[in-house]
Amino acid sequence: MQTVTAELDLEVSRIIKAPRDRVWNAWVDPERLAKWWIPHPLICRVVSLDVRPGGAFVTEMSENDGPFVPHLSACFLDVLPGERIIYTNALTGGWRPAENGFVTAIITLSDHPEGTHYRAQALHKSRADREKHEELGFHDGWGTVVAQLAECVETKT
Amino acid sequence: MATAAPQMPDDLSSIFLALADPTRRAVIARLGQGPASVSELASPFDMGLPSFMKHIRLLENSGMIRTRKSGRTRTCVIDGPGLSNAERWLAEQRKIWEAQADRLEAFVMLEQEGRNADSDR
Repeated sequence: MQTVTAELDLEVSRIIKAPRDRVWNAWVDPERLAKWWIPHPLICRVVSLDVRPGGAFVTEMSENDGPFVPHLSACFLDVLPGERIIYTNALTGGWRPAENGFVTAIITLSDHPEGTHYRAQALHKSRADREKHEELGFHDGWGTVVAQLAECVETKT
Repeated sequence: MATAAPQMPDDLSSIFLALADPTRRAVIARLGQGPASVSELASPFDMGLPSFMKHIRLLENSGMIRTRKSGRTRTCVIDGPGLSNAERWLAEQRKIWEAQADRLEAFVMLEQEGRNADSDR
Protein backbone atom coordinates (compact mmCIF):
# COMPACT_ATOMS: atom_id res chain seq x y z
CA MET A 1 0.00 0.00 0.00
CA GLN A 2 2.72 2.47 0.88
CA THR A 3 6.22 2.58 -0.49
CA VAL A 4 8.97 2.72 2.08
CA THR A 5 12.14 4.30 0.75
CA ALA A 6 15.26 3.55 2.71
CA GLU A 7 16.64 7.08 2.36
CA LEU A 8 13.60 9.05 3.37
CA ASP A 9 11.69 6.76 5.68
CA LEU A 10 12.66 4.86 8.74
CA GLU A 11 11.46 1.92 10.72
CA VAL A 12 12.14 0.88 14.27
CA SER A 13 11.17 -2.46 15.63
CA ARG A 14 11.18 -4.10 19.05
CA ILE A 15 10.20 -7.42 20.54
CA ILE A 16 8.43 -6.42 23.75
CA LYS A 17 8.06 -9.26 26.22
CA ALA A 18 4.47 -8.52 27.11
CA PRO A 19 1.10 -9.39 25.62
CA ARG A 20 -0.19 -7.31 22.75
CA ASP A 21 -3.12 -5.76 24.65
CA ARG A 22 -0.71 -4.43 27.27
CA VAL A 23 1.37 -2.67 24.62
CA TRP A 24 -1.79 -1.40 22.97
CA ASN A 25 -3.08 0.03 26.25
CA ALA A 26 0.22 1.81 26.84
CA TRP A 27 -0.46 3.55 23.53
CA VAL A 28 -4.14 4.42 23.69
CA ASP A 29 -4.57 5.32 27.37
CA PRO A 30 -3.64 9.00 27.88
CA GLU A 31 -2.28 8.46 31.40
CA ARG A 32 -0.03 5.65 30.22
CA LEU A 33 1.06 7.35 27.01
CA ALA A 34 2.12 10.45 28.96
CA LYS A 35 4.58 8.32 30.93
CA TRP A 36 6.71 7.26 27.94
CA TRP A 37 5.86 9.49 24.98
CA ILE A 38 8.43 12.20 25.77
CA PRO A 39 11.90 11.69 27.27
CA HIS A 40 12.49 12.62 30.91
CA PRO A 41 12.92 15.14 32.42
CA LEU A 42 10.39 16.73 30.07
CA ILE A 43 6.83 16.35 31.27
CA CYS A 44 4.17 15.29 28.81
CA ARG A 45 0.55 16.41 28.85
CA VAL A 46 -1.85 14.55 26.61
CA VAL A 47 -4.36 17.13 25.39
CA SER A 48 -6.21 14.83 23.02
CA LEU A 49 -5.91 11.13 22.25
CA ASP A 50 -9.02 10.43 20.23
CA VAL A 51 -7.93 7.12 18.78
CA ARG A 52 -10.19 6.78 15.75
CA PRO A 53 -9.90 7.93 12.14
CA GLY A 54 -10.10 11.72 12.08
CA GLY A 55 -9.51 11.95 15.82
CA ALA A 56 -7.09 14.50 17.20
CA PHE A 57 -3.74 13.50 18.68
CA VAL A 58 -2.31 16.44 20.58
CA THR A 59 0.52 16.38 23.11
CA GLU A 60 2.34 19.17 24.93
CA MET A 61 5.56 19.26 26.87
CA SER A 62 6.99 21.21 29.75
CA GLU A 63 10.60 21.65 30.78
CA ASN A 64 11.65 22.35 34.37
CA ASP A 65 8.03 22.93 35.42
CA GLY A 66 7.82 25.69 32.82
CA PRO A 67 4.73 26.37 30.73
CA PHE A 68 3.41 23.62 28.49
CA VAL A 69 4.37 24.14 24.85
CA PRO A 70 3.15 22.28 21.73
CA HIS A 71 4.85 18.98 21.08
CA LEU A 72 2.72 17.18 18.51
CA SER A 73 -0.53 17.99 16.77
CA ALA A 74 -1.69 15.20 14.52
CA CYS A 75 -4.70 13.36 13.16
CA PHE A 76 -5.36 9.63 13.34
CA LEU A 77 -5.93 8.17 9.90
CA ASP A 78 -6.48 4.52 10.60
CA VAL A 79 -7.04 2.53 13.77
CA LEU A 80 -7.32 -1.24 14.00
CA PRO A 81 -7.75 -2.02 17.70
CA GLY A 82 -4.88 -4.05 19.07
CA GLU A 83 -3.10 -4.09 15.73
CA ARG A 84 -2.46 -0.80 14.00
CA ILE A 85 -2.43 2.96 14.44
CA ILE A 86 -1.69 5.40 11.63
CA TYR A 87 -1.43 9.12 12.24
CA THR A 88 0.01 12.13 10.45
CA ASN A 89 0.99 15.65 11.44
CA ALA A 90 0.12 16.80 7.91
CA LEU A 91 -3.42 17.05 9.32
CA THR A 92 -4.84 18.13 12.65
CA GLY A 93 -7.93 16.66 14.30
CA GLY A 94 -10.97 16.33 12.02
CA TRP A 95 -8.84 16.07 8.87
CA ARG A 96 -7.93 19.77 8.81
CA PRO A 97 -4.74 20.45 6.81
CA ALA A 98 -1.88 21.46 9.07
CA GLU A 99 0.51 24.33 8.55
CA ASN A 100 3.62 22.24 8.07
CA GLY A 101 3.33 18.54 8.68
CA PHE A 102 5.91 16.17 7.32
CA VAL A 103 5.43 12.67 8.64
CA THR A 104 2.99 9.78 8.60
CA ALA A 105 3.57 7.26 11.36
CA ILE A 106 2.45 3.65 11.12
CA ILE A 107 2.46 1.71 14.38
CA THR A 108 1.98 -2.03 14.02
CA LEU A 109 1.59 -4.66 16.76
CA SER A 110 1.70 -8.35 16.05
CA ASP A 111 1.98 -11.50 18.15
CA HIS A 112 5.44 -12.92 18.65
CA PRO A 113 6.55 -16.09 20.51
CA GLU A 114 8.18 -13.87 23.15
CA GLY A 115 5.34 -11.37 23.38
CA THR A 116 4.68 -8.54 20.95
CA HIS A 117 6.45 -7.44 17.81
CA TYR A 118 6.26 -3.62 17.87
CA ARG A 119 6.98 -1.74 14.67
CA ALA A 120 6.95 2.01 14.06
CA GLN A 121 7.43 3.33 10.55
CA ALA A 122 7.85 7.00 9.75
CA LEU A 123 7.16 8.05 6.18
CA HIS A 124 8.55 11.42 5.21
CA LYS A 125 7.75 13.81 2.40
CA SER A 126 9.02 12.57 -0.88
CA ARG A 127 7.72 11.64 -4.26
CA ALA A 128 10.88 9.83 -5.15
CA ASP A 129 9.83 6.24 -5.59
CA ARG A 130 12.72 3.87 -5.59
CA GLU A 131 13.27 0.74 -7.53
CA LYS A 132 15.98 -1.45 -6.11
CA HIS A 133 19.08 0.13 -4.77
CA GLU A 134 22.11 0.13 -7.02
CA GLU A 135 25.53 1.44 -6.29
CA LEU A 136 26.17 4.51 -8.38
CA GLY A 137 29.60 5.92 -8.87
CA PHE A 138 29.00 9.34 -7.41
CA HIS A 139 31.51 11.54 -5.73
CA ASP A 140 31.99 10.48 -2.17
CA GLY A 141 29.98 12.35 0.35
CA TRP A 142 26.98 13.41 -1.70
CA GLY A 143 25.15 10.78 0.20
CA THR A 144 22.30 8.50 -0.45
CA VAL A 145 19.84 11.19 -1.45
CA VAL A 146 21.58 11.86 -4.72
CA ALA A 147 22.00 8.17 -5.44
CA GLN A 148 18.34 7.64 -4.89
CA LEU A 149 17.39 10.55 -7.09
CA ALA A 150 19.63 9.36 -9.86
CA GLU A 151 18.11 5.92 -9.68
CA CYS A 152 14.70 7.42 -9.77
CA VAL A 153 15.59 9.37 -12.87
CA GLU A 154 17.24 6.43 -14.56
CA THR A 155 14.22 4.24 -14.12
CA LYS A 156 12.07 6.87 -15.79
CA THR A 157 14.15 7.22 -18.95
CA MET B 1 17.57 20.75 19.85
CA ALA B 2 17.21 17.00 19.93
CA THR B 3 14.11 16.89 22.08
CA ALA B 4 11.17 14.79 21.11
CA ALA B 5 9.50 17.68 19.35
CA PRO B 6 9.18 16.61 15.74
CA GLN B 7 9.97 19.76 13.84
CA MET B 8 11.21 20.08 10.32
CA PRO B 9 13.27 23.23 10.00
CA ASP B 10 12.29 25.54 7.17
CA ASP B 11 15.48 24.97 5.23
CA LEU B 12 14.71 21.26 5.18
CA SER B 13 11.15 21.78 4.10
CA SER B 14 12.54 23.58 1.10
CA ILE B 15 14.88 20.67 0.37
CA PHE B 16 12.03 18.22 0.45
CA LEU B 17 10.01 20.59 -1.71
CA ALA B 18 12.92 20.84 -4.10
CA LEU B 19 13.04 17.06 -4.36
CA ALA B 20 9.34 16.76 -5.03
CA ASP B 21 9.68 17.63 -8.71
CA PRO B 22 11.04 15.24 -11.39
CA THR B 23 12.85 17.98 -13.32
CA ARG B 24 14.64 19.15 -10.19
CA ARG B 25 15.47 15.59 -9.18
CA ALA B 26 17.01 15.04 -12.60
CA VAL B 27 19.07 18.22 -12.24
CA ILE B 28 20.37 17.14 -8.85
CA ALA B 29 21.14 13.67 -10.16
CA ARG B 30 23.09 15.13 -13.08
CA LEU B 31 24.98 17.51 -10.80
CA GLY B 32 25.90 14.56 -8.62
CA GLN B 33 28.29 13.63 -11.40
CA GLY B 34 29.94 17.04 -11.51
CA PRO B 35 29.27 20.72 -12.32
CA ALA B 36 27.30 21.67 -15.44
CA SER B 37 26.10 24.81 -17.17
CA VAL B 38 22.44 25.79 -17.11
CA SER B 39 22.09 25.26 -20.85
CA GLU B 40 23.60 21.79 -20.56
CA LEU B 41 21.26 20.97 -17.70
CA ALA B 42 18.26 22.30 -19.60
CA SER B 43 18.93 20.42 -22.83
CA PRO B 44 17.15 17.14 -21.92
CA PHE B 45 13.97 19.02 -21.02
CA ASP B 46 11.26 20.23 -23.29
CA MET B 47 10.69 23.58 -21.61
CA GLY B 48 11.63 27.19 -22.13
CA LEU B 49 14.68 28.60 -20.40
CA PRO B 50 12.62 30.94 -18.15
CA SER B 51 10.67 27.95 -16.78
CA PHE B 52 13.84 25.98 -16.33
CA MET B 53 15.51 28.89 -14.53
CA LYS B 54 12.67 28.83 -12.01
CA HIS B 55 13.66 25.28 -11.11
CA ILE B 56 17.31 26.30 -10.86
CA ARG B 57 16.45 29.21 -8.58
CA LEU B 58 14.31 27.03 -6.36
CA LEU B 59 17.16 24.54 -6.05
CA GLU B 60 19.55 27.38 -5.31
CA ASN B 61 17.25 28.83 -2.65
CA SER B 62 16.90 25.45 -0.99
CA GLY B 63 20.68 25.39 -0.56
CA MET B 64 21.12 22.23 -2.60
CA ILE B 65 23.04 23.83 -5.44
CA ARG B 66 25.21 26.88 -5.96
CA THR B 67 25.49 28.76 -9.22
CA ARG B 68 28.12 31.18 -10.47
CA LYS B 69 28.16 33.24 -13.61
CA SER B 70 31.27 33.72 -15.71
CA GLY B 71 30.72 35.69 -18.88
CA ARG B 72 27.49 34.42 -20.43
CA THR B 73 27.61 31.00 -18.86
CA ARG B 74 26.00 30.14 -15.52
CA THR B 75 27.53 27.03 -13.98
CA CYS B 76 25.75 24.98 -11.33
CA VAL B 77 27.42 22.82 -8.70
CA ILE B 78 25.82 20.61 -6.11
CA ASP B 79 26.14 21.84 -2.57
CA GLY B 80 26.87 18.99 -0.19
CA PRO B 81 25.79 20.54 3.11
CA GLY B 82 22.23 21.04 1.93
CA LEU B 83 21.92 17.36 1.21
CA SER B 84 23.79 16.17 4.25
CA ASN B 85 21.49 18.35 6.33
CA ALA B 86 18.62 16.27 5.04
CA GLU B 87 20.46 13.14 6.03
CA ARG B 88 21.36 14.51 9.42
CA TRP B 89 17.74 15.38 10.00
CA LEU B 90 16.75 11.82 9.13
CA ALA B 91 19.35 10.43 11.51
CA GLU B 92 17.92 12.65 14.24
CA GLN B 93 14.40 11.45 13.52
CA ARG B 94 15.63 7.88 13.78
CA LYS B 95 17.12 8.58 17.20
CA ILE B 96 13.84 10.06 18.36
CA TRP B 97 11.84 7.04 17.20
CA GLU B 98 14.33 4.56 18.63
CA ALA B 99 14.30 6.29 22.00
CA GLN B 100 10.51 6.39 22.01
CA ALA B 101 10.28 2.66 21.30
CA ASP B 102 12.77 2.04 24.12
CA ARG B 103 10.66 4.08 26.55
CA LEU B 104 7.48 2.28 25.52
CA GLU B 105 9.17 -1.07 26.07
CA ALA B 106 10.52 -0.01 29.46
CA PHE B 107 7.13 1.32 30.50
CA VAL B 108 5.28 -1.84 29.49
CA MET B 109 7.85 -4.05 31.24
CA LEU B 110 7.65 -1.99 34.41
CA GLU B 111 3.87 -2.11 34.41
CA GLN B 112 3.94 -5.83 33.87
CA GLU B 113 6.38 -6.41 36.74
CA GLY B 114 4.12 -4.36 38.99
CA ARG B 115 1.19 -6.54 38.07
CA ASN B 116 3.14 -9.77 38.59
CA ALA B 117 4.25 -8.52 41.99
CA ASP B 118 0.62 -7.79 42.88
CA SER B 119 -0.50 -11.28 41.91
CA ASP B 120 2.35 -12.86 43.88
CA ARG B 121 1.02 -11.48 47.12
